[in-house]
Amino acid sequence: MVDGSDAVIVDRGYRHYEGERTGSRGAVAAVVREGYRRVLGLRRKARRKVLPWFLISLALITVAIFIGIHWVASSAPIGRGEAPELLPRYGEYFDLISVIALLFTALAAAELFVPDRVQGVLNVYFSRPLNTDRYLLGKLIALASLILSFYLVPQLIFHIGLAAVDDSGFLTYMSENLDVWWKVPATALVYFAVHASVAVVIAAFLPRVGAAAGLFLGGMLILNLLAGFFIEGTNLWFGRYFGLIALEQHPRYVRDWIFDIDTIEHLPERAGFDPWTSLGVSIIVFIGAVLVTRWQYRRIA
Amino acid sequence: MNLVETTSLSHDYGGTVLALDNLNVEIPGGVVGLVGANGAGKTTLLRIILGLLHPSGGAVTVLGTSVADDALGLRSRIGYMPEGKCLPLDQTAADFVAFTAELAGIPSTEARRRASETLFLVGLHEERFRYLGDFSTGMQQRVKLAQSIVGDPDLVLLDEPAAGLDPAGREQMLDLIRRLREFGINVMFSSHILEDIEQTCDWVVMLDAGRLVRNAPLEPPSDGDEVSVEVIGDPELVATALIERGAQTFVDGQVIRVVHGGVEDVFDLVIEALAEHEIGLRRMGTSLSSLEDLFLKHEAERG
Repeated sequence: MVDGSDAVIVDRGYRHYEGERTGSRGAVAAVVREGYRRVLGLRRKARRKVLPWFLISLALITVAIFIGIHWVASSAPIGRGEAPELLPRYGEYFDLISVIALLFTALAAAELFVPDRVQGVLNVYFSRPLNTDRYLLGKLIALASLILSFYLVPQLIFHIGLAAVDDSGFLTYMSENLDVWWKVPATALVYFAVHASVAVVIAAFLPRVGAAAGLFLGGMLILNLLAGFFIEGTNLWFGRYFGLIALEQHPRYVRDWIFDIDTIEHLPERAGFDPWTSLGVSIIVFIGAVLVTRWQYRRIA
Repeated sequence: MNLVETTSLSHDYGGTVLALDNLNVEIPGGVVGLVGANGAGKTTLLRIILGLLHPSGGAVTVLGTSVADDALGLRSRIGYMPEGKCLPLDQTAADFVAFTAELAGIPSTEARRRASETLFLVGLHEERFRYLGDFSTGMQQRVKLAQSIVGDPDLVLLDEPAAGLDPAGREQMLDLIRRLREFGINVMFSSHILEDIEQTCDWVVMLDAGRLVRNAPLEPPSDGDEVSVEVIGDPELVATALIERGAQTFVDGQVIRVVHGGVEDVFDLVIEALAEHEIGLRRMGTSLSSLEDLFLKHEAERG
């Protein structure tokens, strides 16, 4: 038993650090970890957790429903063995969650890039062994891993679920569908390259998280409308080239190409462009976004 | 080893505004005050020391390392407290300070431990799990100080650390800065409040319009070599009496500047001279005794 009257205030002083330092690599890793916490609302007030976890839950619930549909179809006495061919699979799942993923991308990019700049925290970050390029690298790793996980984790669950409910057995299904292991990640990469790039460029310039997310979502919609109007609503000779600005549609067109499916006629397709063009646009958008964002941050720093 | 050495250091913004003009200084370790009016070049110098700004000309060596050669390596050894806002208001003090320790290269678990200790040091241990947005200005300033020292730097650069604080908060901040010296951390802090520098520093670098005015140890106010006397009556009589007693005098209106040149008890000397001619005294004090006097003298000379 400690007698409270014996208590003394001890000045702990200052303890010097003798251990090893992780240097610039450690600083980048710290930026990545802090990026995860910020986007997912971890170690933040409860209301900051609501939107990201709602979107993640929605993506997972959707995949659970998809697996359920396949299970019901494979157990049904009528049409057994034929129904799975008609049911939505990996390519279609991308289509279904693309709206949810677009919202998640808008949120993640805005949360990663707006607050640091607006709250002046960059002054502290750049006084550490961290330069602009390494800071942006950390942010890019955080954004890419979060968004790709958003696409890939449900797809992985979907793949395992389909294998589990398939009549041919788990291992047989897995061995017969090896192409899924490259098609799904490749498609997710194209979605990320276009959508995240545009979201980051907007977030690198706007002063508010909500405004950046809103402009990204609105911008995607407006570009689609504009492209649709010029492709089909006018007879101008250059109208078809507006198909290139339908940025939201390029990943979808590439996805159909990768999975060899034909969901709808996408705007670039209607404008007469082939999937290679959409892939090229995706790469150009990504490179352009990296350059613009880098220019903006070097200017700020 | 000097803390900072600059050779012909110059910097201009866009080729129009000259922030630093051919600065040559050697600053020793300890607590160093960087003084100057707004726009004197204090923040520019601090940012060049950190390697955040590339000088237009000249070179800087910090802690024996050239900034141009290894700015990132140097930043592992330097802490920085910016003047303006720099806190993420949606994070707790503990999380933010731990994160800045990680940025300085300290592993995650140790970073959290150090954050807790450093917040204790600045008097925010109880509040460490509160969000920074809920902190007062004084508390936020202390968090800014904590993040600058949590990485165990050899040198910490503080840009106007007492700005915006009330008198009590300001005194607490100056106390904390004085304690850094006890911990073996060199401090270089900028301020335009000369009294803060006088209370805290043992070396002063004074800048004006990007030029060096003074780079010297801070001496106690009584060590000034002039006494200023304002009299009610004929100053020439007093001046003559003082010359007879071995002092050198300059009369300007009712004010006599007395250069005592090693004469002891100069105040007694003045009192004797005044008493001899029964002349009244309006004001008497050391001139060139304080940083403020130095600064004002420089301003006057500059016109």
